[in-house]
Order: sequence, then C-alpha cells, then structure tokens
Amino acid sequence: MLGRPGQDAVITVDDVFKAYGDVKAVDGVSFQVSKGEIFGLLGPNGAGKTTTMEMIEGLHAPDSGAIHVLGMDVRHAATAIKNRVGVQLQTAALYPQLTVTELLSLFGTFYARHQPVERLLEDLELGEKRNAQTKNLSGGQRQRLSVALALVNDPEVVFLDEPTTGLDPAARHGLWTVVRRLKGEGRTILMTTHYMEEAEALCDRLAIMDHGRILDSGTAEELIGRRFRERGVHFRRAGAPDQEKLQALPAVSRVVYEEDEVVLFTSDVPATIAALLELTSRAGTEPADLMIRRASLEDVFLELTGRALRD
Amino acid sequence: MRALRALSLANLKSFVRDRAALFWTLAFPIVFVILFGTIFAGGGAQYQLAWVDQDGSATAAALRAAFEANAPVELKDGTFEESKSRMLRGDVDGILVIPKGLSAVIDAAHAGQHPDPIEVTVVTDPSRSNTSLAIQQIATGLVMAANLQLSGASPLLTVRPDALQTQQLNGVSFFVPSILAMALMQLGVFASIPLVQQREKLILKRLNATPLPRWALVGSNVAVRLVIAAVQTALILGIGIALLGVKVVGDPLPIAGFVILGALTFTSIGYVIASFARTEEAANGITSVVQFPLMFLSGIFFPLEVLPDWLRSVATLMPLTYLGDALRQTMVGGAPFMPLPVDAAVLGGWLVVTLGISARFFRWQ
Repeated sequence: MLGRPGQDAVITVDDVFKAYGDVKAVDGVSFQVSKGEIFGLLGPNGAGKTTTMEMIEGLHAPDSGAIHVLGMDVRHAATAIKNRVGVQLQTAALYPQLTVTELLSLFGTFYARHQPVERLLEDLELGEKRNAQTKNLSGGQRQRLSVALALVNDPEVVFLDEPTTGLDPAARHGLWTVVRRLKGEGRTILMTTHYMEEAEALCDRLAIMDHGRILDSGTAEELIGRRFRERGVHFRRAGAPDQEKLQALPAVSRVVYEEDEVVLFTSDVPATIAALLELTSRAGTEPADLMIRRASLEDVFLELTGRALRD
Repeated sequence: MRALRALSLANLKSFVRDRAALFWTLAFPIVFVILFGTIFAGGGAQYQLAWVDQDGSATAAALRAAFEANAPVELKDGTFEESKSRMLRGDVDGILVIPKGLSAVIDAAHAGQHPDPIEVTVVTDPSRSNTSLAIQQIATGLVMAANLQLSGASPLLTVRPDALQTQQLNGVSFFVPSILAMALMQLGVFASIPLVQQREKLILKRLNATPLPRWALVGSNVAVRLVIAAVQTALILGIGIALLGVKVVGDPLPIAGFVILGALTFTSIGYVIASFARTEEAANGITSVVQFPLMFLSGIFFPLEVLPDWLRSVATLMPLTYLGDALRQTMVGGAPFMPLPVDAAVLGGWLVVTLGISARFFRWQ
C-alpha cells in the first residue's frame, strides 16, 4: 500500500482559489502529496493544472487558501522552498545563445548547493550536446535539458509540467525512465499531463481536474474501481457457447455482443473464467483470444465530465 | 554575488553571440562618428572657386596669387561659361569674375586719375546660405584689401579673429560627446527589448522559479549595459582621438561618472518601456517612438539657442540635453549650458523617477 497523505506530506494544498478577471482558473483545490510518490494532475488544457502547479512553485500567489511545501508556507518562505525544489516549466525557453554546459553551470550558481554538471549531462544523456547552443537542440533534447535544469540543485521535490508534450514515443519513453529514476532516488514528484497512458504508467496517485476543480483523486485502480466494479472478459464470438449458457455463468451480469467479440461483464473474474473454460472444454473447444479488460482512466474521465479527454 | 557575476557573464555572452545586436550597438555609433567627422573635419572649410580672368593682365595674375595665398580657397581657371557649368555640377562653390579693363582702371589710379570703379562679380548659390555668405565675405575682404593697397592708405581699423573658448573646439570635438551621449541613450532605452523578449519567452519566469534574487537579475542586466557602454565610449573616443583629432582635455573621473550616470538613467527609461510593452513588437515600436524626441528635442545636435521658445523649454526637460552638456564640458571643455552639478541632478532625478515607475509597473511574467 502506498503512503497515505498525512504526517509525511511534502506538499499540502488547502482550499486554493485563483481567478484571472472573471475566469476562475483554480476553484477550490485541495490535495496532499506524500514523500517519495509521483502525483499527477490529469486533465485537459485549461483545466487549471498549470496554474495550480505554479502557485505551489511560488510563481503566482493564490487569491485564498494555503499552500505548504516541505512544511513551509509558500507565502513566507518562497526562497527557502525554491532552494529545495526543481521546476520544469511547460513552455519556458532558454537562453538561445548559451551552450548546454554554460546553462547548467549558470543555474548552479543560483542555488545554495548544486550537482556536478557532468552528472546531469550523463543522467539526461546530453553529453554529446554539451557544447551545442540551446537554440540548436531538438525538441527531445531541449525537454531533457529543461528537466536537467530542474535537477541542478539536487531537489527533494520536482515539478514537471507536461514533460512529454510534443515528444515522439521514443523520446517520451526515455523521459518516463528518467522520471522513474528520480522516484527511485527518493524524490517527490508532482507532474501535470493530459496523456492517460502517461498518468497510468508513471503516477502513484492522480487528481483529475476540469474547470479549475479536482473531480476525483486516488490511485488509477481506485479511480476506476469506484465507478467500474466489473471487468470485461473478452473472447472471439465465432464458436462461442450459446447466450443462455454464458448468462448463467457465475458472477456474470451482462453478456454483450460486439462486432466479432463476446464480452462478459463480471464482478468475479476468476470464477467466471473457470466456469467458462469448463463449459468450452466440455464442448471440446476453448475460447479464442481470451482477454480481461478493465475500464481505463479515459472511461473515468468520460464518466466524470461527460466528454472525452482529448477533444 | 556569484550568481550576479555568472548571470552578467551569461547575458554578455548572449549579447556577443547575437551578431545583429552586436553590430547595431557597436557599428552604429562608429558610423555616426565617422560621418560627422568627415562633415566637420578640418575646421575652416576650404572653398572651391572658379576664377574667370577676363582681363588677362599681369595685375589680374598678381591679384590671383595674393588671393590664393591669403584666403581658404582653391581657384580653378576657366571661362565664365565653363565655370557656370562647373558650379551647376557642384564642382565649385562660387565664381569670381575679374572684368576686362581692371588693369586699365588700376593703372589710371596709379597715374593719379580718378576712374569709375569697376565691379568684380561674385556668383554664389543662395540655397547654400553658409557657403554663399562665406564666399561673399572672402571676396569683399579681397577687394577691400586691394583697394587699400592701391590707394596707398594705411589701414586705421583691423579685425583680430578670436574665439571665446577655453580650449580649441572644432566641429568634431563638439559632436563626439554628443554622439557618445546619443549612443548611451540608445543603449539604455534599447535595454527594453531583450528584457521583453526574456519575459515573452518565459525566461524571466523560469529564473523566478529559482532562488535567484530579483536584484541580481536586474543588476546583471545593468552590469551588461555598463560594460557595453564602456566599450562604446572607448570606441567613440578612440576613433575621435585617433582619426579626427579630437582633444580630450577633461579629467577621466568625471567623464566616467557621467557615462555611468547616463547609462543608468537611460537603462532605467528602458525598464519603464519594458514595464508597459507587452510584446517584443510593442517594445520595438515604443522604443523607436521614444528615442526620437529624446534625441531631437535635446540640445545635442544643435545649440538650444536656435530653437523656438516652446521647443527650447521642452529641450530643457530632456535628460539627453544634460548628458550631452555634461560630457561636452568634461571631455572637450565645451561651453556650459548648465553647471555640472545641475546636469548630474537632472539626470539623477530622471533615474529616481523612472526607477520608481518601473518598480511599480514592471511585470516578470
């Protein structure tokens, strides 16, 4: 079981509001992030993820509510917090005429303590580009450099804002490896994303945001399990037993025929499958392309907001 | 302090590696100095005059020799028609016509007769009033001298040319401090553009996410401007001294002081622009619009006395007027428009007010 928020909370956000004119960017958000976990803010563009994160980073002041990072109030201890966290901003450009090494060394001078540049170059596979001016880097390299800059001060907490947006699948998986390693090193990570598979692959816990509010939070399992108790047992329709026999299998609530598949919705997957296999073996066959599927975060988002995440 | 030094160095590297910015900042004032230097070089201007000798006598030839030796002119012989086409082409600035019968009149005068005076015609171009006036004066001087000599009378009144200036101040010496002042002004107000760029590209926001204090961020920008100002000053003065014969007579200390005060004041004006410009395009536009009145409504390119009253009162508010005045006084010993402490106070006042405005309105993101 993952550490529940409580005494070891590294980030505490308590009933935070932020409006820009008439637009309520963040409309009463509360959550906690525990030490050593990867916490994801998941939602479409404009949901308030970035604004929430930037308030935690101390870049904007909330209109009301309290934010604590590493036990310190961001309103009063911004500099002390900034020394111990690392920030990767979604769209921030870098000094285009400086080289990778120059930029990493420069950022090192801003902090009370900093990692050796060599180590950062190695960890983020930027060694070959050390003397390249940043304007000449590819999208993936630039993103890795922006993560490297977030790690310059060997931070306890790392903020990643849409770290893989615009990257090709190979570069995206490369960055996931980096994020997992950061967690392995004991760092706490708060990230935003609008990619379901990224949230599922990386985040220990998630908060689903839309229109400035958190609609639900928890592990991916919990989020799905709260709404979709049943699983789907899928297999090929050709040669499948009759509908009445399938309907009579233990724990099956519905039988649904899709194009070339039969789906048994069940609250007890092992019991249903055992009985299914017994049924087919008596007929001297076996179910083809047998598969167990659960609902995805996409389904959760659809359920929560009535629309798909990527519209 | 380590961060301030590193960030200043980073900004300087960025500046040097941005060829376009480098070129405009360093080449522009140099081009200006050389341009003005060529216009004002040599102090007393040399005039090209066409000499039309219709008399062809030995007396006319003697007059020609005396004229060429005593006046800042170069004479080109030719007929009146040839000379006219030369003047139309711009090869000569004016025409002097020595009429036929000149020697006859002079000979008659020497013989004790009283002949009718004969006219020496001077053709000038009234659209070039300065040159026109100068040539008429030169010609009049020549004729007067000839008259005196011929009449055998000794002169009772003479004019001794003198100037009320503590130092030799030729045209270039007047303009080099002005160009330096202008370069410092541009350097400062154009500070707005990289600043707005860095804000637009969220570089300022990224820096704000680090513990880097804001004073270090501002300080590094100002430090870079000062370094560039020093390089510009060295270049402009160097060219002025080496190529144009400018004599720098002042103490280096007050000169450096005013260069720094000027760079600070105008950089602060640049910050005010950056406070109100949301985009780089807007910053470019505002900077161009602001720099023209700053430049032309100040007394750096022409004396304030020639301006109409209302314009003169505008000019007496402009910071560049005082920077130009202070640099002219401290560098080449120019005549003061205001005492130096007043110059310093006005520049300092602009600095304080614009700093206050930017502190109030500048946005980091």
